[in-house]
Amino acid sequence: MSDALFRNEPVSSTPYVADGVSISLAAPLKRYSLRARTADALETVLNAKVPQKIGATEGGIACLGPDEWLLRTPADTAMPTGAGLPVAITDISERSICLVLEGPRAAELLMTGCPLDLDNFAVGRATRTIYETVEIIIIREGEDRFHVEVWRSFAAWLWTAFTAAASH
Amino acid sequence: MILIHCPYCDEKRPEIEFANAGQAHVARPLDPSSQSDEEWEAYLFIRANPRGRHHERWRHVHGCGRFFNAVRDTVTDKFETTYKAGEPRR
Amino acid sequence: MSGYRLENGGRIDRSRPVEFSFDGHSYQGFAGDTLASALLANGISLFGRSFKYHRPRGIMAAGSEEPNALISVDRGAGRFTPNLRATGVEIHAGLNAFSQNRWPSLKRDFGAINDRLGMFFPAGFYNKTFMWPRSFWEKLYEPAIRKMAGLGDAPTQEDPDIYASTYAHCDLLIVGAGPAGIDAALEAMGSNKRIILIDEQDELGGGALADPALWPWLERSRKALIDAPNVTILTRTTAFGYYHDNFIGAVQRLTDHMPDNSDSPREKLWRVRAGEVVLAQGAIERPLVFDGNDTPGVMLSSAAKVFANRYGVAVGTLVALMTAHDSGWHDVFALAKAGVGIKAIIDVRTEVSSALLDEANRLGINVHLNHSVTGVNGRHRVTSMQICNNADYVGARIDCDTLLMAGGWTPSVHLWSHSKGSLAWRDDIGAYVPDQPNENVRCVGACSGGWDFGSGVIVDVLPTPKDQSRIKAFVDFQNDVTAKDIKLAVREGFRSIEHIKRYTTNGMATDQGKTSNLNGLQIASTALAKPVTDIGLTSFRPPYTPQTFGAFAGHAKGALFQPTRTTNIDGWAAENGAVFELVAQWRRARYFPRAGEDMHAAVNRECVAVRSSVGIFDASTLGKIEVVGPDAAEFLNRMYTNPWKALEPGRCRYGLLLKEDGFITDDGVSARLAPDRFHLTTTTGGAARVLNMMEDYLQTEWPDLDVWLTSTTEQYAVIALQGPNARKLLEPLVEGIDLSADAFPHMAIREGTICGIPTRLFRVSFTGELGFEINVPTAYGRALWEHLMAEGAKFDITPYGTEAMHVLRAEKGFIIVGQDTDGTITPFDAGLDWAVGKKKPDFVGKRSMARPDIVAPGRKQLVGLLTDDPNVVLEEGAQIVADPRQPIPMTMIGHVTSSYWSETLGRSIAFALVAGGHEKMGGTLHIPMPGKTHEAKVSGMVFYDAEGARLHV
Ligand SMILES: [Zn+2]
Repeated sequence: MSDALFRNEPVSSTPYVADGVSISLAAPLKRYSLRARTADALETVLNAKVPQKIGATEGGIACLGPDEWLLRTPADTAMPTGAGLPVAITDISERSICLVLEGPRAAELLMTGCPLDLDNFAVGRATRTIYETVEIIIIREGEDRFHVEVWRSFAAWLWTAFTAAASH
Repeated sequence: MILIHCPYCDEKRPEIEFANAGQAHVARPLDPSSQSDEEWEAYLFIRANPRGRHHERWRHVHGCGRFFNAVRDTVTDKFETTYKAGEPRR
Repeated sequence: MSGYRLENGGRIDRSRPVEFSFDGHSYQGFAGDTLASALLANGISLFGRSFKYHRPRGIMAAGSEEPNALISVDRGAGRFTPNLRATGVEIHAGLNAFSQNRWPSLKRDFGAINDRLGMFFPAGFYNKTFMWPRSFWEKLYEPAIRKMAGLGDAPTQEDPDIYASTYAHCDLLIVGAGPAGIDAALEAMGSNKRIILIDEQDELGGGALADPALWPWLERSRKALIDAPNVTILTRTTAFGYYHDNFIGAVQRLTDHMPDNSDSPREKLWRVRAGEVVLAQGAIERPLVFDGNDTPGVMLSSAAKVFANRYGVAVGTLVALMTAHDSGWHDVFALAKAGVGIKAIIDVRTEVSSALLDEANRLGINVHLNHSVTGVNGRHRVTSMQICNNADYVGARIDCDTLLMAGGWTPSVHLWSHSKGSLAWRDDIGAYVPDQPNENVRCVGACSGGWDFGSGVIVDVLPTPKDQSRIKAFVDFQNDVTAKDIKLAVREGFRSIEHIKRYTTNGMATDQGKTSNLNGLQIASTALAKPVTDIGLTSFRPPYTPQTFGAFAGHAKGALFQPTRTTNIDGWAAENGAVFELVAQWRRARYFPRAGEDMHAAVNRECVAVRSSVGIFDASTLGKIEVVGPDAAEFLNRMYTNPWKALEPGRCRYGLLLKEDGFITDDGVSARLAPDRFHLTTTTGGAARVLNMMEDYLQTEWPDLDVWLTSTTEQYAVIALQGPNARKLLEPLVEGIDLSADAFPHMAIREGTICGIPTRLFRVSFTGELGFEINVPTAYGRALWEHLMAEGAKFDITPYGTEAMHVLRAEKGFIIVGQDTDGTITPFDAGLDWAVGKKKPDFVGKRSMARPDIVAPGRKQLVGLLTDDPNVVLEEGAQIVADPRQPIPMTMIGHVTSSYWSETLGRSIAFALVAGGHEKMGGTLHIPMPGKTHEAKVSGMVFYDAEGARLHV
């Protein structure tokens, strides 16, 4: 059985297209929660550049907090376990799905329920925040493109909320 | 909805990203078993309820996830300052 | 002039007539009319009945301060809105509006008897009269009063409209688009600031809309602002509240002014964060207080000018002015110019400027200085008025059909006050004006107290020779508060305006006293013989004008009311007839009834299937936390009651979590995957709370520990396979794990694959049977479930829900935290002292277990209960007594926490929290329930397979 047939996603795989913005489910991703006291400690373990500043992204790694990073990678890259080291690497690939908001109204759509000032949210920036009552992580992939990470059990609600807001 | 400066993110963020976590600078005794009943009662239950300047803990729970300390005026609801956990009382 | 519509002028579109209905009668107006202007043009003067006395009322104002003309609009099924101001309702084809608070009709209203009985309705009447007994108030007085004294009817159907909502950010928010607001926008427009300009009316302009000389400027300005890319213009938008840190709430009305509006959002809630706020809300004209000042046809002079110049409507054919302020003179001059017949100007002042007198003279208007109106004749419309000389009280009657009032101006400081800006009293204008800001905000134009309306004097009640206690001189028109009521309050000892306000209800109607607060203050000040500034100031609170509930609810209704969390397997459960229940935010399958089964039958069947063959259960909602780092075991050792350091990788342990006060807060089975990696589970409802609590200790008490916590609740779908055939079903599907009893004992974890999917396979049991909990990456949950259902058919595999799970665990004596505990239960109370590491020097809650009240005898303890009649299933929550013959009220010694029919045991079982329960083993307790008091014996909590033989196979 192919992987696609095995997987069951909480939202439609057909994009929702509204005036000025589309909402679609991103392809499955590998996701890891990376934790350490410093970015340097992680760089040693991962042998990769790790952003130092909260909100910054680099090479698929987003710094979400002083000791927390989110790695998103499309391929099934081999990951070290960090065993015995003062780091924590945890597989959270299926904890969330990613909704892609794209189009000139993408920021406007997100701001219907997200209280951040997205006019002043640079491309490449990532943060954990909230949409109405649901926690999300937003990553500005482009001027008109946002990735919205949401825990799976909230995804159907968020999809409905986004499509409702986008429809008018 | 007020804005709260997160000392870790170093920016003002909307209140709904935060959760209040009670009075600040109430440290857990290093050896609870050596505490008298009165001392333990004070640690567990006795809290300040000032009119005005109040030291509180907040957590940027829907942000960077960190607990931090704040001085908030309970009359005006204005934050005087926020600072990282472990830093001295302001 | 046709009727009251002027031949020329106004901003209405005379080429677009509009048919609408009021109280079932059809009328015609023009596009651009409000309901108020259109009805005035049709000669309608009676718009409603007053709140308390049911007095006939007409239009008093032209804007959102209107206190009288409250109407309802019916837009079809469920779309009924009461209490709208006729001055703010734009007419459109098919508009269906109704007057309120009248029966059987507006003209003949039964409740008007209240007006005749007015002497019996003084201030504080309701408080004084309907006090006792309480049941009379709820059943008799309140419904009767509500029927008589009221606003419009509340809608009875579900609101089918859509309401949108958004956050918005700007550098400059301007509230009010009159000349001052527009100037502020034009001034800032050239910068790169993001500007939002809000106005409650349907077009920009504010007061300029009633001043044709300003229209060319207005049109130029409007074009410039629309063309500016950095300016967002929100008309038909009310900034209703000003909150901390320049956060402003505003509601934009999108479709109410249009005939067909069912598909798009009716309103939009704007939650605006502004760098700077400019308030340009203008000022509101004050009525004058005299006998009969509420008669239809008596209105603010500025309103008459708006109706003439903006809507092309003459408010009357014979118009008189009662004024204390120059602005009234200018208004009637403008009316005269527009073709409205002016009868007389009565000014309370002894002197006015010669310029005004000359102009009045030129226009042929009679002027009566140092005079006051002392009475108004006419019931549904003014027919004439009495005036008298303030010096000698010599009077005269003047015929008129409209009487204008010009009592001076009140700056609109509502939003300024919401923002906690301070106010200063200005004697020259007799009003409070903005003083010190509390936010980054400034006031411009008339709301700052700056205007060119000329000057005036501030009076309280106009001089009159009449007995002051017999006149009806209204201060608060909406709440029917008269000058007499305020004076009565003062006589009865009220000194602060806050108390006078509450006693008389002055300023407490839906208009929040926009036209009455200052007059009330002035009258109280005179009655108390104290300066206004000595008697306090009432607060303005949001909303500035009433807003719909829909706007605040926004999307949050129906499917979007609140998030309902669903597991990956939820869809299968729904397709297979599951009955669901909500647990925390999760939707969980409660049972899976087959045709003809009720819950009881389904749960019995599901329980028997688990005990006899194999059941399958969706346990995905259990909270999961991955604890990783060199100090992981040390951390868990400090958090949980039991020891963790010696737990070997590959093994599981039941963890009991206390709060620092010693009471149970959560529990769950956790596994050690590696020396520095644990997979914790929590209760479904406790997941977020436990993670927050652990983060708190880790970040703030033990920041030296190298360990990190990650929520993995949603990383895994969890399928529990429970029953004697569970291993047989699993064995052929699993690779990389030896499932034999020796290699994979109870309370162990192994990693491998199932059907090719990586899995963390737990051998654990919440049922007492041989059991496994299969954790797979969430996306694969449903596929695996369906595969197990197919493969399990040969064992007659049975899906079971939370109800059967509860029965099965109760048969085994397993508690559910939050059901069998209530936040005051210690491990000892719950019979879980075996899970407390006696040798551990410290863990969260340990010190509290030695608190005096926790070691004291008589605490409520968890025990089993077996009813003497095995067929009786006690009610959960039922109270327990030691002696059923004691007098009522009986001493309750505890309550039933869990109670079920056990099909396996052929009898009922229960848990209960009972004072001193552990000492009562074997004793009989009594449980009074409706109809009968039942007896039950106190027992241990394990009712089935006490030795655990079924687990270790
Ligand atoms: Zn932060």
